[in-house]
Amino acid sequence: MMVAVGDTLPELVIEVTPTFVVSTAFATRDYQDVHHDRDAAVERGSKDIFLNILTDTGLVQRFVTDWAGPNALVRDIAIRLGVPCYAYETLTFTGHVSERDGKLVVVDVVGRNSIGDHVTGTVRVELP
Amino acid sequence: MIRDVADQVIARGESSRRAAPDPVNVPMVRHWVEALGDRNPIYTDPVAAAASVHGGLVAPPAMVQVWTMFGLRCTRPADDPLGAMMSVLDEAGFTSVVATNCEQTYHRYLRPGEEVTVGARLTDVVGPKRTALGDGWFVTTVSTWYVGDEPVAEMLFRVLKFRPPAEEPVGDVLRPVVSLDTEFFWAGTRVGELRIQKCLACGEVRHPPGPMCPGCGSTELTHVVADGVGEIYSYVVHHHPPMPGKRLPFVVALVELAEGVRLLAELIDADPAEVRVGLPVRVDFQRIDDELTLPVWRVRS
Amino acid sequence: MSTLSGAAAIVGIGATAFSKASGRTELRLAAQCVRSAIADAGLSPSDVDGLVTFTMDTNSEIAVAREVGIPELSFFSRISYGGGAACATVQQAAMAVATGVASVVVCYRAFNERSGQRYGRVQAAAAQQPTSTGVDNGWHYPMGLGTPAATVAMFARRYMHEYGATSEDFGRVAVVDRKHAATNPHAWFHGRPITIEDHQSSRWIAEPLRLLDCCQESDGGVALVVTTTERARDLPHRPAVVRAAAQGSGADQYVMNSYYRPDITGLPEMGLVGRQLWGQSGLSPEDMSAAVLYDHFTPFVLVQLEELGFCKPGEAKDFIADGTLELDGRLPLNPHGGQLGEAYIHGMNGIAEAVRQLRGTAANQVAAVRNVLVTAGTGVPTSALVLSA
Repeated sequence: MMVAVGDTLPELVIEVTPTFVVSTAFATRDYQDVHHDRDAAVERGSKDIFLNILTDTGLVQRFVTDWAGPNALVRDIAIRLGVPCYAYETLTFTGHVSERDGKLVVVDVVGRNSIGDHVTGTVRVELP
Repeated sequence: MIRDVADQVIARGESSRRAAPDPVNVPMVRHWVEALGDRNPIYTDPVAAAASVHGGLVAPPAMVQVWTMFGLRCTRPADDPLGAMMSVLDEAGFTSVVATNCEQTYHRYLRPGEEVTVGARLTDVVGPKRTALGDGWFVTTVSTWYVGDEPVAEMLFRVLKFRPPAEEPVGDVLRPVVSLDTEFFWAGTRVGELRIQKCLACGEVRHPPGPMCPGCGSTELTHVVADGVGEIYSYVVHHHPPMPGKRLPFVVALVELAEGVRLLAELIDADPAEVRVGLPVRVDFQRIDDELTLPVWRVRS
Repeated sequence: MSTLSGAAAIVGIGATAFSKASGRTELRLAAQCVRSAIADAGLSPSDVDGLVTFTMDTNSEIAVAREVGIPELSFFSRISYGGGAACATVQQAAMAVATGVASVVVCYRAFNERSGQRYGRVQAAAAQQPTSTGVDNGWHYPMGLGTPAATVAMFARRYMHEYGATSEDFGRVAVVDRKHAATNPHAWFHGRPITIEDHQSSRWIAEPLRLLDCCQESDGGVALVVTTTERARDLPHRPAVVRAAAQGSGADQYVMNSYYRPDITGLPEMGLVGRQLWGQSGLSPEDMSAAVLYDHFTPFVLVQLEELGFCKPGEAKDFIADGTLELDGRLPLNPHGGQLGEAYIHGMNGIAEAVRQLRGTAANQVAAVRNVLVTAGTGVPTSALVLSA
């Protein structure tokens, strides 16, 4: 795999349907009501149900391995959390290679929705 | 208090390790990749996985926390460091929480059948900091996942535990019923004067005003402009229910003025915890609209 | 002794269920409690010729009379100032029957105070009525002081400051009320006592008042039948004789906002009521077998004990400290659970409880009851009764 600093990754676009929010929350064993019960989420001051953090980490991982392939080894994922990602949002991940040291590369990732940056972070991945 | 508890909990180090309810297993992985739409074959396709660098099925590294989630029925263990810190901050009024950082490091991929445990320690409590969300404390914990005694992954997790800003007022301030007897007072607040009724016959000052001097019976009444300084005689911190035009919680203070009368108004820009009987205050004026200006108190330093 | 003392008696009591959502009109609640009180007295609607209620009650006397089948009314009267009216309705009825203006008078109060208009909320319409009271309210509501809890909290803070009373002292009133309610099947909080720790951990409503310092909000109705003591002797129940009945309004009085008196740690209107009660009855605080003190907010229960002469100003916290208010204590308080525990029917359910105590039919019966003191709403012009066996 030919990789250089500055390379951009293919975009990943996620339609954040209520089904997506709920199924990912349960698949990550996160039963907090704000991730599956809109009435409860609204009661707590949110606009709607929203994505949980375990899913954000998982999506960032998917974004990078979709590009890096099945033989890449993910070493760490560090994310900062920004605006919420409510149901009915479109979440778009973009990223580029920011560092390279032999097989080890660092990818900078941003997941953005209509309100702003939902998640920003870096993934350290060892390429084959 | 917050600092003391933080130091104690940090000094306790890592909590006892808690075992995942299930070993790493393919059905949960399959649910996870299906929900997230991850088509990487190394998680669920035994043939492709065997041909990969892993030589067999592995779990997605980002699932590490999933194995030890509390689920629906589990309760936080008593020695959970985040739980201890959260309750202290709740008591101090920092009742809202938002996660700010999640940093996971994977030492190796996990394989189906491996039994995972997790321990957590509090590493850092920083605050109070002024943030866009309100004043708060950043609380950082580090969790370590183990297979046997081998650490396989770590996670730094940071939350901001903050005091929610006062609720926005709902509705408009209730307007006073103004009569011919009391309109001088409200005309005064509009021009920045705190007018106190005075009897022309006997000189008695009085608030609230009325049409007749209760001392001498005269209806020949005027007013003086008060200096507007006084001390809190009593006060209320109003939390519930919402009051039209007011931001919860708010302080209403009954103030004894230097002129010898008491007058009630909202005390603004004061920390409710600092208010006490005897606190010196001075009047200020809060314009609502062209018609109505309310007197308010400010702490006099 | 006044000519009123002993002339009249409460001979019938009636109530609807106490709930949070009656699902009925206030008029239906009124008609039901009035009818059941008349039946309890062993009388029929045609025996009734007078009705008394609160100015705040939404059910007109003529509508109640129509529904219940009371044919003619020769006396009807209403009392102002919210819960301060409760005992004064009985005083009105007693004066009417004692003077022959009427022969049987029913006092009633019925409302959907939880499912309908909630008094614990801000009453914007009341605040802005085009009356002298509306003008008075202009000194408080626009400034943010507009709920009953907040108005009492203002007095309570000063009381704490002057006498060193604490939130725990207020809490002891709530604990004893809820203890009594716990064993009263008619109480909303039947089976649900609280501890002082529960009180201390309940949320602030208007500091220094916590949630558990504040009475509940209720739907329901209570009615009381009053006739002459002479006629009462021929009726089925042991009469609750009106030994004393008094109203009171103090100097520089406001509705809930009497903050401009030299001292605001007392309730001088209740002091005035107390002096009349002891004067009319020839009794003293020591003669009371039990007290039903109006408990919309706990601090004013302490102040009432002081104003009525059970202890000196500022000493109520010590007076109540050692089980004084328990059922077997020196002054059993609110054996039905009060408005914190049973229901908030604007004080009328407390009068019914006093009648049951004198009959010997109360859920939490105090031993050997001779005289029961009952008070009405505080912070407003108020009233009270001494009822005797």
